[in-house]
Amino acid sequence: MSTIINLNQSTLGGMERMIISMQDPDMGIKLRNQRLLITVIPHAMTGLDIVEWLIKKCSISDEEALHVGQLFVKYGYIYPLKEPRNLILKADDSSYRLQTPYYWMSTRWPASELDYAIYLAKKNIRKQGELIEYEKECYNALHKRINHTWDFVVMQAREQLRASKQRRKGDRIVLECQEQAYWLVNRPPPGTQDSIDHGPERRTTNTRVQLVTNGLSLKYLLKRTLTITICDGLTCLCVCARSYVKYCEQYQPHDPIMQGCLPSNPWITDDIMFWNMNSETVALPTKLRVERWSFSFMELLNDQMGRKEFLTYLEKEFSGTHTQINESIHNPYKQYCFLAPGASRWVNIDSKTMEKTLEGLKRPHRFVLDDAQMHIYFLMKKDSYPRYLKSELYKNLLARAIVPQETKKSVFPFMRRQRHSSPSPALATQTAEDDGKAKYSNSNSGTASRL
Amino acid sequence: KPECCCLSASTGNMDGEEFTMLDALNKVTACYRHLVIALGSTSDSQNLREELKKTRNKAQELAVANRTKLTALLKDKNISKDDRAEYERLWVLFTSSVELLEVDMKRSLEIGQDFPLKVPTRHLIQTGMTGSTTTVAARAMSVQNMKYEADANIDTVDLKELETEIAQVDQMMEEMEMKVQVAPWAVEAKQEAGAELKSTVSVGNSSVGVISICEEEPKETVEGETGLMKVFAGIIFTGVLLIAGILGYLVVNL
Repeated sequence: MSTIINLNQSTLGGMERMIISMQDPDMGIKLRNQRLLITVIPHAMTGLDIVEWLIKKCSISDEEALHVGQLFVKYGYIYPLKEPRNLILKADDSSYRLQTPYYWMSTRWPASELDYAIYLAKKNIRKQGELIEYEKECYNALHKRINHTWDFVVMQAREQLRASKQRRKGDRIVLECQEQAYWLVNRPPPGTQDSIDHGPERRTTNTRVQLVTNGLSLKYLLKRTLTITICDGLTCLCVCARSYVKYCEQYQPHDPIMQGCLPSNPWITDDIMFWNMNSETVALPTKLRVERWSFSFMELLNDQMGRKEFLTYLEKEFSGTHTQINESIHNPYKQYCFLAPGASRWVNIDSKTMEKTLEGLKRPHRFVLDDAQMHIYFLMKKDSYPRYLKSELYKNLLARAIVPQETKKSVFPFMRRQRHSSPSPALATQTAEDDGKAKYSNSNSGTASRL
Repeated sequence: KPECCCLSASTGNMDGEEFTMLDALNKVTACYRHLVIALGSTSDSQNLREELKKTRNKAQELAVANRTKLTALLKDKNISKDDRAEYERLWVLFTSSVELLEVDMKRSLEIGQDFPLKVPTRHLIQTGMTGSTTTVAARAMSVQNMKYEADANIDTVDLKELETEIAQVDQMMEEMEMKVQVAPWAVEAKQEAGAELKSTVSVGNSSVGVISICEEEPKETVEGETGLMKVFAGIIFTGVLLIAGILGYLVVNL
């Protein structure tokens, strides 16, 4: 059984709490001693004990307890002692030990390249150069990648080994096993399952990029703003979540994957009726399309047909000015004609914007009409658009709009339209090229130029 | 120290003093990491918290000293190109050390907050480590024996200090990056791959036996109550008694 858990702090927090209760001296698992030739190391547990404890504590079945236990091993909270490379929980007398909090999985402290390099260097020293194949490759790759700090890697590896030499033998063994287990989880050997979904591989070390603004660094500013808005952040999150849910609910009937599309999905049945019915020049639009215009002003404007309808509405309701205004939203330089005093048509914008625009026109630049454009856009959105949605024109269109019938799948397979793949684009371009070449060679018979 | 001389010999020609200071910082950083690994486990104790505090303070002192020295060296415009390259290399060593230290300080804050010592429920993780870390701390502080003189509530009091110190280190790093323009990726390391194998013998051999036990453990099993060892010891003991008895009898009779 393999699962991919969404690794966030709360999932990990739950696992951590479980681990703490697991090793509670009174209520936890019975811990035994591990005997190795001469040393005795305490705090080992058998796989069977773990599973039984989980069954008792969470009141779950055998299978479920085994699965939960597996997760602990997979994410490195418990590591096996006999076969360290085999990150599996076995419900028998194979022994396991708990990992120290420093090596717990954390989204805040992902395993870094530098640490891995130091670990491999240490191992290299201990094993006198006899690293495993994939470790050798990683070592060489790291040597190339973080070459600039390689001196540090070597120095630190040596010092860390010297520091651990100060401990007594049993502790030293535990230290090495712990570290090994950590790296087996975070840098799994090739061929084993990578239990952590890191997302797209980012092999760069964490570089410190800083922008300096007015003497205060951006990082400092960010920290300040974050601490101030931490409470607002939560409400922000709620608002975001709510609007996201609302968006999903609203658009769900329009999503061809979620809701299916009528009459049929052209990519599946090779029937292009769907596209024909939703094209820009069709006489009657589909009901879904018309409904979509009511979601937001941009939806209406983005649809050619919607825009046309809106224009007709405006023409009917008001004089030509608004029509022209609407066009000018998409072509702002047309506004220039209307704003000039004494123009044949006036545009309804407020005096402040008018003043500003006229000022700007004295020394024209690219964005001089932007204010006017914004004003007109918002006027449309707040005023004309809601009126359009309530108008008779829109309602009639909605009533007349067609709901296409789903094409019935024929019972007899040979009656269904056979799927055939469209001609390869390569062929299409080749023929076009040939045509082009023929034309070109005809026109430039003398020159030998190539496109 | 013999190890220190070996290192400086392999790294070529430069001022020994900077390297000694950097070496010291490196050593203290390594020891600090070692101590932070023990946090939250059964090795954790009052003493460990105090050791962490002392080591951390020492590391910061060394960091500041190194920084002053190296900044002065790098700002000097009259140094040769080779010297400059060398100082940039030392600078990269220094920044890597401080970055490691910073991360470990932040982690020790996090773990220290999650595992306070004076709480009724015993939640320290039983990791199998039971020895004390006093020798590691003594190595970091370059003393023979550590003296412990902290109050009982060091685990909570120290965390606040730790927070301010982390902020200080952060600030120091920002200042460093702004004042000294060194492109880290342009630095070339002197050590090639596998350079660590040429180190002094003392590091290598003693731990070789240990790691082989860690890796191949199929013969070892976890034993609960009276194990084979006890029976074996009993047999040997009785054997020795018997021999002693026989010898005594012979001595008496002869």
